[in-house]
Amino acid sequence: MKLRRLGQTLPREVEIISHQGSVISARIDDQTIRAILERTADGSFMIRIGSHRVRINAVRSKGSILVAAGPASFEFKAVEAAESRPRIGLASPRVEAPMPGRVLKILVVEGAEVGAGDGLLVLEAMKMETTLYAEGAGMIAKVLVVQGQMVDHGDTLIELSPLRDSSNAESPPRGR
Amino acid sequence: MYHKPSAALNTGSPPRACYFQASAGDCTGCGKLDATVPTGKIKNLLVANRGEIALRIIRTAKVEGIRTIAVYSEADAGAAHVAAADEAVLIGPPEPAQSYLKGSAIIAAAHANGADAIHPGYGFLSENEEFARATLESGLIFVGPPPRVMAALGDKISARRLAAQAGVPIVPGIEASDLQSARMFAQRVQYPILIKASAGGGGRGMRVVVRLEDLEDSLESASREARAAFGDGRLFIEKYLARPRHIEVQILGDGSGEIVALGERECSIQRRHQKLIEESPSPAVGHELRARMCEAAIRLATRSGYRNAGTVEFLLDGDDFYFLEVNARLQVEHPVTELRFGCDLVAEQLRIAAGERLVEPKRPRGWAIECRLTAEEPEHGFRPATGKVLYLQLPSGPGVRVDSALEQGTVVTSYYDSLIAKVVSYGATREEARRRMIAALDDVSILGVGHSTAFVRAIVASAPFAHGELSTRFIEENSPSSSWAHEHENAALIAAALATGDSKEFSFQSTDSGSHDPARNSSRSSPWSKLGNFRLWNTR
Repeated sequence: MKLRRLGQTLPREVEIISHQGSVISARIDDQTIRAILERTADGSFMIRIGSHRVRINAVRSKGSILVAAGPASFEFKAVEAAESRPRIGLASPRVEAPMPGRVLKILVVEGAEVGAGDGLLVLEAMKMETTLYAEGAGMIAKVLVVQGQMVDHGDTLIELSPLRDSSNAESPPRGR
Repeated sequence: MYHKPSAALNTGSPPRACYFQASAGDCTGCGKLDATVPTGKIKNLLVANRGEIALRIIRTAKVEGIRTIAVYSEADAGAAHVAAADEAVLIGPPEPAQSYLKGSAIIAAAHANGADAIHPGYGFLSENEEFARATLESGLIFVGPPPRVMAALGDKISARRLAAQAGVPIVPGIEASDLQSARMFAQRVQYPILIKASAGGGGRGMRVVVRLEDLEDSLESASREARAAFGDGRLFIEKYLARPRHIEVQILGDGSGEIVALGERECSIQRRHQKLIEESPSPAVGHELRARMCEAAIRLATRSGYRNAGTVEFLLDGDDFYFLEVNARLQVEHPVTELRFGCDLVAEQLRIAAGERLVEPKRPRGWAIECRLTAEEPEHGFRPATGKVLYLQLPSGPGVRVDSALEQGTVVTSYYDSLIAKVVSYGATREEARRRMIAALDDVSILGVGHSTAFVRAIVASAPFAHGELSTRFIEENSPSSSWAHEHENAALIAAALATGDSKEFSFQSTDSGSHDPARNSSRSSPWSKLGNFRLWNTR
């Protein structure tokens, strides 16, 4: 299966080849890795890879998998087969709220054309301002929120459509 | 090393005679005790804050035999500080403006529950002059500086003026925020320049401007952010120093004119002006520089008539230091000073507020480092993370202190500050404290909410940090990564693959036997929804 870590663009390919007792053989990208799995009293697992041993807890939530590996925290999303195929136009026509917060300022109007790096909207969360930028070119098809509105993580804020004469937009906007 | 207003610096010789005098009148150099400030024995303390700092204050109050009253918003009904206090009062909805910032509700709660004093913690109302004044006027003790001192120092513009009058060096700057003046100032000192909010703190309302084209937008957004955060959009502008270190001096004043300085803290490791890692002492500060900085801090504190705990912040550029601001309250990073001096700054604050005189601090020993763990995802541009804590492990051990209000089941919301834990390590040397910190951070494990622990761990483990080569641009200039992070990612990938059910040996099981999770009883169409959102994976 392909998993993409939140915030990273390249998915990692991971496959459990065999799992016998506590011994796991996994292929990660092109590398085969042997791991030892042990259970702890509090329900966590220790995973040993080589001389490296780390406490693991995991949960699936809202379509992603959260993993605590020692002090490192991961959020993975399974990459659908279709998503890894090259496509034309915008990868995602929707700009979603990367966190819950308040819409402080809308920087674009419907019908406007935007280029990569253009600011779209300013969100306020935890008392900090976060601007969402366009990562590719497109046209603002719809603005679905108004200034001052509270939004939740994952709410669609703006819908983009590809520019008529261009198909070079690649990835969805993200917070910077 | 602690410092007094004059003499005996670094020498270990006994303090000046007036230092231990019970009466302020005996010392001509000292001011009179401020008669307008109510003092007296504190028996019942309302803690006007939440999170780790509320817990921290409640702990000391318990030690001192003081009954505590917590306040909380609807979002914090099950919070650790509510459970820890002797009484807890609901003061309003989750939004800070309607709860933790609502001074009238807090003062009313104090009177209704027999409090004789209010401790504001940090943030929220801690530096709000009107709140302090209203507290005092209602007949309660305010654990903090007098309102007039707070007004003079809390406002960054007036603090700058006061520093200049006290002979403390200040960064070149102007007290104007109109485009024309800003443009002329930038032309004079050259870009980059720094826009700051007069009421500011924690980097809010602050903007670095590197070119003319960004000036107008930056002025506008800084003012907007400052208005939103502090209700005051006034700005001032300074020359931006390229690679300074952030050094601050902890002071205590008892209102008699006596001020002591409890050495310095270095807080250079910052991201967007938010401190991430602090330590005491600073690897950049030697004996002579420490004496100069502490004396400058004391001069400013004396001139302002400072009372209670405060921090004078400086930027250090080579051997030159410049006044930055005064934080007229307890600081987030106060534990590093406590570990070095073997003191309890909250207890000192309570004693001063009760009208007691300062006692001589102990000699500082060793080295202390603090790492702030926040609910932010460094791998995703430090996006604030929210969610419910499903699994929690925090470190302990020799030379390790953790200040946190996080518990298994705590829901981290977007209403409040993202700080979830402070891990503080102590050692005889900086290197021992650093190694203890790495070992402590390796023991942190939090499932359910993204957090910054791996990021600060990478910084502490990096060579430049180990060598003490710090500056406020450390994070921009270094991108610490390690094979350590890579190994963890591989382990996490294997866990994720197992957890998604590719392997028959594994499945998700709920460790949450409670019925408060609505998802548990809803749709049963998919194998995931059957178990709800809160599933830890376990072997059968």
